[in-house]
Amino acid sequence: MADQEQQEHEEQSPALDSPVPGPTETGRAVSIARLLHYECGLLMQLYKEKESFLSSFSPGGGRMVSPSPVSLEEASGEQRVERLHAALRQCLGLLHCVLLKEEEEWGEQEEDYETLKKNVRVRLEHLLLCTRGLLEGPDTALEVTPDHQGTEEPDGARGVFGLKVWTYRVLLELHHWADYAAETLHIFHTERGGTADL
Amino acid sequence: MDTMPHLSVNRSSKPNCRTVWLISVLVGLLAIHTYANDVLPVPQQVSLSANMDSQQLSISWLAGAATTFDLVILRTELDETVLSETVSVMVSQLSGRHEWNWTSVEPLECTSLSIKIRSREGQTTSEWSNTEILQGSDLPSEENFQIFPLDKVVPVGANTTFCCIMKEGNQFGKIRYGNTDLISTRLSRRSYATTVFNQGLSSSSGSNVICYDNTEQLITGVAVFVGYPPLPGDFVCETRDLTSTVCLWNERRDTNLYKSRGTRYTLNNRPCALEWSRNPQKEYRVANWEGKWTLVAVNALGQYSLTDSAKLSHRVNPVAPEHLTSVVHALNATVLWQLKYDGYYSLALVCQVELTSQGYKTKHTFTGVGLRSAVLPDLYPYEDYSVQVRCGAQQNFWKWGSWSETISFKTSSLVPESPDMWVWMNKDYTGQVMWKPLTRRQSRGLMTGYEVTLWSPEEHLQHTEIVPLDIFAVPINLTQIATVSSDNMVMATVTAKNTEGVSQPASVLIPLRLTDVDPLAVSRAVYTDQGFSLFWQSDANATFAYVVEWCNASCKWNCLVDWINVAPGNTNVSIESANFQPGVRYNISLYSSSSEAPELLQRWQGYMQELVPSSPVMSLLTTQQDSDILLSWEQIPLVSRRGFVLGYNIYMSSGSQFTLLANLSDPGSRSYKVKSMPEGSYKFTVKAYTSAGEDTGATASIMLEPFTDRLILEILASLGVTALFLVIVTFICYKKRQWVKKAFYPDIPEPKLPGDWSRSQAPLDVKPPHHSLVHMVERPEWDSSKEALVVIPEEDEDEDGQGIGEALADTDEPTSLRYYNQVVDERPIRPRYPDSSDSSASSLDSARTDVTYTGIQTSGSFVFQLDSHGSSEGHQPQADPSFCAGGGGGYRPQMQSRVVSDDTGPASPNPYPDPEAASGGGYKPQSSWQMDSPVEDGEGGSRAPSLGSPTSIASTQFLLPDGEEHTEEKRQPSSSAATWLTNLLSSTKP
Repeated sequence: MADQEQQEHEEQSPALDSPVPGPTETGRAVSIARLLHYECGLLMQLYKEKESFLSSFSPGGGRMVSPSPVSLEEASGEQRVERLHAALRQCLGLLHCVLLKEEEEWGEQEEDYETLKKNVRVRLEHLLLCTRGLLEGPDTALEVTPDHQGTEEPDGARGVFGLKVWTYRVLLELHHWADYAAETLHIFHTERGGTADL
Repeated sequence: MDTMPHLSVNRSSKPNCRTVWLISVLVGLLAIHTYANDVLPVPQQVSLSANMDSQQLSISWLAGAATTFDLVILRTELDETVLSETVSVMVSQLSGRHEWNWTSVEPLECTSLSIKIRSREGQTTSEWSNTEILQGSDLPSEENFQIFPLDKVVPVGANTTFCCIMKEGNQFGKIRYGNTDLISTRLSRRSYATTVFNQGLSSSSGSNVICYDNTEQLITGVAVFVGYPPLPGDFVCETRDLTSTVCLWNERRDTNLYKSRGTRYTLNNRPCALEWSRNPQKEYRVANWEGKWTLVAVNALGQYSLTDSAKLSHRVNPVAPEHLTSVVHALNATVLWQLKYDGYYSLALVCQVELTSQGYKTKHTFTGVGLRSAVLPDLYPYEDYSVQVRCGAQQNFWKWGSWSETISFKTSSLVPESPDMWVWMNKDYTGQVMWKPLTRRQSRGLMTGYEVTLWSPEEHLQHTEIVPLDIFAVPINLTQIATVSSDNMVMATVTAKNTEGVSQPASVLIPLRLTDVDPLAVSRAVYTDQGFSLFWQSDANATFAYVVEWCNASCKWNCLVDWINVAPGNTNVSIESANFQPGVRYNISLYSSSSEAPELLQRWQGYMQELVPSSPVMSLLTTQQDSDILLSWEQIPLVSRRGFVLGYNIYMSSGSQFTLLANLSDPGSRSYKVKSMPEGSYKFTVKAYTSAGEDTGATASIMLEPFTDRLILEILASLGVTALFLVIVTFICYKKRQWVKKAFYPDIPEPKLPGDWSRSQAPLDVKPPHHSLVHMVERPEWDSSKEALVVIPEEDEDEDGQGIGEALADTDEPTSLRYYNQVVDERPIRPRYPDSSDSSASSLDSARTDVTYTGIQTSGSFVFQLDSHGSSEGHQPQADPSFCAGGGGGYRPQMQSRVVSDDTGPASPNPYPDPEAASGGGYKPQSSWQMDSPVEDGEGGSRAPSLGSPTSIASTQFLLPDGEEHTEEKRQPSSSAATWLTNLLSSTKP
C-alpha cells in the first residue's frame, strides 16, 4: 500500500519524471537528493497526520544539525558538498536514533509509516554514498556512517510526548537538509558542466 | 484502663455515705478528664513517603497506643483542604509506627501538600502534629513548564486527572486531550488540573494531553496509554522431539499496550524471554517435560493465570518429515521421507500424504512404526503431481505435525484412451464422424494425431484417414464405401495416437438404410439448474448403454452436435453444456449404444431459456368477407420463435392503443375472423407469444368497403318475390277467371236491336247523319229494360263541335268510324269516378245498363263507367287515378246537371273535384276504337287511348267536351296501365 502510494507520488513529482541528464554522478546525486526531499516531505506529512497536535505546532530550538561553518560565499563547490555530506551524516545519525527509540517505545508501528521511514534511511544512505563519490579523491576519505550512535536524548519535554516532539524536529531537519542537498548538488552539477534544467 | 483511679467506698459511715459517694464520683470524673488530657499522645515524627506513579502518599507517625486519628491534607499554597478525615490506624507490628496510605486524585507533583495529624479518643483529641509538607513540582525553584502524570497507563473507562505547572512568568492557557479542550481548576499559583472521564482506547503511540500557555505558542504534554489488562487463552503444552516442552497460547484481546508496556509472561514462575511481537500467537519452549504448567500474564493494568498438565505421550506433535523423495511409475508412485528425531523411529506414526494435481488435492493416510514411505496408487499417466507429508502419533493422537516441504514429480506415459466418438448422418448417406478431443489425462502422453477408418464388413472395403491433432470431425460419404442396401452397414472407427502408441479403437456402426427418422413423438425437455433433465422408460433386461445427442433444432445439415454417454441401466440424465444459449431450440435424441447400430429411442425438444419471438408472424393478410374480416398468417420461422409458441393474441389497434380482440391458445392457429365489422378502416396486430411473452407483432390494415353484392342480391330477391307474387296472382286469377269475370266483368247482354246487326268481318263504316246524333244515356232511375234515344239539340252540338279537333273541323263530311266486329273487348268494366257515374255506357249490373248508341263523330275515349248505383250497394269503388282520364274524356252520358247533382251525393264521395261536372260542357264525338297503348302519348291529339270495347259497340259518335281532352291526356299513362292490365285479363279468356 505504502509502496503503491509512493510510486504514485513519484509519478506525480515533476522532478522525478524528468530524465536524468546523462550518466554523470552529479546529476544522479541531484536526482537522489530531490527524491530524498520528496520522501522526507511525505514522511513528515504522515507523521503529522499520526500526531495531529503537530499540525499547529512549530518547534523551536534552532537547527539540530550543525556542520562545521563554512562561508558559503568563499567556499568552493567541493567544500559546500563536503559540508553537505557532514550534515547528511548527522541527519542519518538522528534518523537512526529516531528508528531506535521508536522501536524501543512502540515496537513496529503502522506499516506505511514504517516503510517510508526505512525508505528515507536507505535514500539518505544512498545520497551519502553519492556525495562521497563526488568528493572522493586521493586526499579524502569520507565516512558514510551515522555521525553518532543514536544515544542522543530528546531535548525539551520528557517522556513519550518529548520523543514525539523530538522526532518531529528530526523529520523537519531531514526535510530541510534534503532540500539543501538538492539545491547544493544542483549548483555543483551546473558548475561541473551539467545541464541546469535537471 | 489500668490506670483508671481505683474507687473505694467506706460502708461504716452511713450518715455521710450518700454525700461521700457523690463527692467521690465527681472527683473520679475530674480525675479521668485530667488523665485523659494528659495521656492522648500527639502524633510524633510524621513521615511522608510518596509513590508518584501510583499517586499514593504513605504517612507514618508515632502516637503510642492511640488508634484513632484526625488527618488533614491541605494544598499548601492555597490552603485548600484536600482531605479531612478521622481514621482508625493500628500500630504496624513491623515498624512500630502508625501507617496510613492515601491515594490522591491528582498527581502528587501537581502542588505541595500539607499533612497534619492528631489523636482522637471519642471527642477528646490531642494537639495537632507538626505539619509535614510534600513538596510539589510547582516550587519556584522549578521554573520549567511541566505536566503530570507522565506517560500513565490506565484501563479503558478510567478517569484520569492531569495537572499542568506553568513556566514561571507564563500565563495558563488551556489543556487539551486529543482534540478536546478540557475545563481546568487551579491548584496553586502555577498549577492547573483537569480530569478526563471514561477514557477510550488510545492510539498505539498514546493519546496526547497538551498544556498550552495563553499564547498557545508554548506547549508541553504527556501521553496517556489507555488499554486492557492481559487476557491470554488456549494455553497448552506439547512435545515435538519427545523430550522438550513447547507451550502455546494466544492473546485473546489486544491490550493496546505495546513493547515496554506490553504483557510480560512467566511460565512456572520463570519469566518467558519472548521476543516482543504484535502476533497474538505465542509459543515458548522449555527444555524438559514438567507435566504441569502455570502461565501468568502481567501488564500495567493487571494479570491473568492459566494452567495445563499432561503426559508427554499424550502430547506428541511430530515435526515435519524431512528429505522427501519419490519413485515414479505411470500409474503409481512411492514417496519416501526421513524423520528428524531418533525417538520417532520407535513410535507408531500415522502419516498423511497430500497429493495435488491440476489444483485438486487428495489426502492418503498411512500408518506404521517409524513410518518413512508410502505408495500412492491410481495416479494418472503423464501427470504432474506434488506431494507433502505430515505425521502424528498413532496412539493417543494429539494433533497432526507440520507439513513437510513439497516435492513434485511426473508420472510416465501410456497409450491414450479411446476417443469418445459419434456419427452425424445426413439424409443422403453423407455425414460426419466426430469425436471429442482427448483431455490431458485421457491423452496419457504427448499426442500425435487421430486415425479414422470406415469399413464395410460385407464388401470388405476400408478407408483410413490420418487426422491431425486439431481436427475432431471428418466428413464421410457412405456411398463411396458400400453399396446402399438395407442390409449393409459401415463401421466408423476412431483411434488416438501418442508417443507411446495407439489407443483402443472407438467405433459406431452406421446402417445403410437411412430413412426420415421421425418415428417418435417429440417430448419437451425442461431446463433446470442442472440442465435438461431427461427421463425415459427402459427395459429391465436392456444391457445396452445410451448416447444422448443434442444439437440446434434449426440445423439440418452436417450439424455440430454434442453428446454424452450414459451407462446401461440408467433411465435419466441431466445434460448441461456451456454452449447452451437462450432462445435456441435444441433437439435432444436418445440412442441405444451397443455393438449394433445405434437406434433412436426417444427425442425431446427444449429451450435452455425461452425468449419472446424475435420476429412476428409472417405474411399477415386481411381479407374482407362480407362484413367480416379474415386475418391469416404464416407461422414464425423456427429460428425466430425462440420459444414454444403458446398461441396468438389478436389486437385491433387505433393509434397507439391496442384492444385485445382474441387470444388464440392454439399454437396451430393460422387465421382468425373478425365478424360483423362496420365499414371503415381497421388495423390489426397479431402477436405470437411464448412463455417469455409476446413478440412485437405483425400489423395489417384493411379498408372495409360497402357490401354492394349483397345490396344487389337483396334487390334481385325483392324483384323475384314480387314477380313470384304476380305470377301467383295471375295464376289465381286465371284459375278463377270465371269468378273474376263474373264478379268484375259480367257479360253485357247483347243489345237487341231491330234490323240486321249481324256482324261481318269487314269493317263497318258508319257515316252518321249530320243532324241525327244518338246518345247513349244511362239513367239509373230508369228501368233497365227501357231504352231511350235522346235527341241532342243542335245548339248543343254546335257548342260541343267547337271543341272537336281540327281533323274534324276540316271536313264537312261526317267522320267515318271503322269498327271491327272481331274486336271484342271483354275487359271488365271498371269502376269510375263518382263524377263519371253519370255515364252509363257500361255497368256492372248489365240489367241496369242502358246503352244508347249514338253516332261517333270523331276519335275519343270510349270508356266504360261503373254504375255508381250498382257499385254503391256492395262497396264504394275506390277512386283510381288511372281511370280519371275516363272521367274527363271517357264514355259518359250526356250531362244533365240535375242528375249529376243527385249522383254526387254522400253515398258517392268524389275526392277529386270533377272539372267536367263543373263545367258542364258538351261532348266530343268519340273516335274509332283504339287498342290501348302506353306509348300513344304522341298521338294524344288525334287518338285518345281507350279500353277495349265491351261487347257492345257504339254506333254513333260520342260528343266529348272539348276542354277535357287535355285533362284526359294528362291522365293517360295511368289509364293506359290499367287498360293494359284489363287487356291482359281479358286476353286470358279462352
